[in-house]
Amino acid sequence: MRGRCALCLLAGLMCSIGAVAVAADAPKANNAIPPLMQEPGVAWRAYLFGGRTRPPGPAEIPYDRTANEYSPPLSGIGPITADPAHPFYNNAVAADLGVSSTYRVADLNNEAGRNLMPWAQEALKKQNALVLANKNGETRQARCWETGVPDIHEAPWEMYFIQTPKEVVMILGGPGQQVRRVYLNVPHSKNPKPSWFGESVGHYEGGDTLVVDTIGLSDRTFVDGYRTPHTTQLHVVEHFRITNDGKTLDVSFTAEDPGTFYKPWGARRPRDRVVAPYEEDVCQLNNDDIFNQGFDPVPTADHPDF
Amino acid sequence: MGDFWGGVRAAAGFAALFSALLASPLHAESDISGVWWATSYSPKILVLGGGDPPLNAAGKAQYAKNQMGLKVGTLVDKPRKVCVPDGVPRVLETPYPFEIFQVPKGQVTMIHELNHQLRVIPLDKPLRKYEELAAFANYNGYSVGHWEGDTLIVQSNGFNDDSFLDSTGLPHSDQMVTTERIRRIGGQIEDVITIHDPQMYSRDWQARFVYNQRNDIRIEDYSCNDSTHRDISQVKGVNEARQARAQGRLFR
Repeated sequence: MRGRCALCLLAGLMCSIGAVAVAADAPKANNAIPPLMQEPGVAWRAYLFGGRTRPPGPAEIPYDRTANEYSPPLSGIGPITADPAHPFYNNAVAADLGVSSTYRVADLNNEAGRNLMPWAQEALKKQNALVLANKNGETRQARCWETGVPDIHEAPWEMYFIQTPKEVVMILGGPGQQVRRVYLNVPHSKNPKPSWFGESVGHYEGGDTLVVDTIGLSDRTFVDGYRTPHTTQLHVVEHFRITNDGKTLDVSFTAEDPGTFYKPWGARRPRDRVVAPYEEDVCQLNNDDIFNQGFDPVPTADHPDF
Repeated sequence: MGDFWGGVRAAAGFAALFSALLASPLHAESDISGVWWATSYSPKILVLGGGDPPLNAAGKAQYAKNQMGLKVGTLVDKPRKVCVPDGVPRVLETPYPFEIFQVPKGQVTMIHELNHQLRVIPLDKPLRKYEELAAFANYNGYSVGHWEGDTLIVQSNGFNDDSFLDSTGLPHSDQMVTTERIRRIGGQIEDVITIHDPQMYSRDWQARFVYNQRNDIRIEDYSCNDSTHRDISQVKGVNEARQARAQGRLFR
């Protein structure tokens, strides 16, 4: 009898440990954390581009136009867009239309263009002139450089998330993967050293949204594919919100920079939930400027540092 | 008699429960998540047990060719020049920190500061055949992992032959298969890697890497076109390696 009781006690103890183990292993019923990270291989990809399942054609144009362009914000000043006299046809749109693709020429006469301070306007005028002379049309992302924030949203490739209690890691797939980190529920450092992706802090809101606040951005990046410049005073606030029954990640952001823009501006970048396991894709290879188009060199070290 | 069979049933139930608990992922996995930083750096990979890597005739010829090319500049060390991934095991040798994530469930991810290299390791999946991967071979290969007790076993293949095993140009073929055994030892983790590459080596051989936990630091942005990077001079061996490179002693 005593032996049986000992067994029962031991079994009970193990059951208790098992219950704790199961509880610790079970997903937390915490609605405050949006599932940006799901099972392995789940990512968020911009519309159709690179994942087109239907033949190209006019019906696809509205979708393909968004493939690597920001969408306008719900209100307020929007992003720089293409000069109507020089429409931007990315590869997908060009296929839809049966024409050659083009590089981006910025419209400097609309509200977004007029929101630029003179030095930034001048920089874009020079860039426009280069593109119209068939020079330097590729984006920094296409030249394998770190895009920074918010330009990481321009590329259509899959975005993977890793969520831990302390940080959120974003991995942009496609050629030359990019990685940025968001530290949760902590304040900014007093004087963060400017870096490619700056210093991002964040928190969750409303059960479906990650809010990210970023400062400390290096002025070596641009804010978009038009090469709109910025200063190290750039401050970006992003909202990553899961909508459409979990099928869509609606990314929106506002950018302010008292050294570059008269007023804050914003943009949106919806992405679809896809299952697309990560694969290494190296941007730097076979990416030479073979036609001498004045592209940025791919990132290159002067000398090995160790 | 009833008491006896009741006891047997209870014992059997307990044994089953105990086995199930031992087999559950919570008990099998060890927490290796966090930021880790190499305890030392050597440009020449150090063979576990000492001696030189057991190159066969083809391996010796390729190593000599690589060294000569790197020395005179006809061969580019792409990871150090244009930021391509290091490949395995060279990615394990870097004197920069890296971070391991054990979420989402079913995957281990390693993100290195050096060139923000990624290794995504699905768990409990079969290693894919070389023939399937040959057309898609890449630098860090294709890895799968599983837990054996407190040790994460990572097998990788599908490597291209455009990388070296170390900074001296040690070669490998595209049919190399590596097996890593990663386990936590207090505030450190060790990664013991076995190199299986009969095309270049006369036998399998191993190397061991040890990392200190450094959750007090944040992984920084890194690009090889940066003019400044994190100070790594305190990592044992880095200064000597820099001197060897500057004095032309890295390659024979």
